[in-house]
Amino acid sequence: MLFFRSEERIREWCAAHGSPMRPIVRMDQLWALAATWYSTRLEESSRRPQPGEMREIFASLGLEGDFWDPRSDSFG
Amino acid sequence: MEFDTQVKLAVYRHFAETGRGPAPNEVAKRAGSDVGRVLEAYGRLRAQRLLVLEADGSSIRMASPFSGVPTQHVVEAAGTRYFANCAWDALGVPAALHTPGTVHSRCEQTGEPLHLRVGLEGPEPSDWLFHCLVPAAKWWDNIVFT
Repeated sequence: MLFFRSEERIREWCAAHGSPMRPIVRMDQLWALAATWYSTRLEESSRRPQPGEMREIFASLGLEGDFWDPRSDSFG
Repeated sequence: MEFDTQVKLAVYRHFAETGRGPAPNEVAKRAGSDVGRVLEAYGRLRAQRLLVLEADGSSIRMASPFSGVPTQHVVEAAGTRYFANCAWDALGVPAALHTPGTVHSRCEQTGEPLHLRVGLEGPEPSDWLFHCLVPAAKWWDNIVFT
């Protein structure tokens, strides 16, 4: 899970590593994920989102499809 | 409060207060227990994916968003320096602390430095991007690589 300066830099990095290009996430989307996952992490009642919740969170940010499905078996 | 929750909070609050991972005896002191019981709780918290331990079973590699080892993702907040496990966790540190901070990282392709200010409502406007190679269903197959 890495930062890149632009989509072109991601494309170059994936090509150099023989890796597939994955969905790109903007900083505002990443903040929403980080805040959802971690804003209660120091509290007694904190817990990790469960798979169904994860899917809903991703979908609410426009992150949909098999890549974001924690139960997908599309990747072997 | 359940003992495992006490241990979890002791670990996370130690990271939050100091920027580094606690030794088992420090957790035991905070939780009012002993090292043996703390290490037993570590195993259960690992199974719940709340901790990632080193091979010795007692050193904490990850208590997300905090990293127990130095990484390329550094967050400065309220005078403390934290290491984050990944780009996602780098934004997760100020989110967990509820404290403004600055994320220092880099473009993985070019090494260009990133210095991103993050407030209580999120990061300053930025056109930097995030890319994850591993599909969500596979994140925990090797969480350190992810």
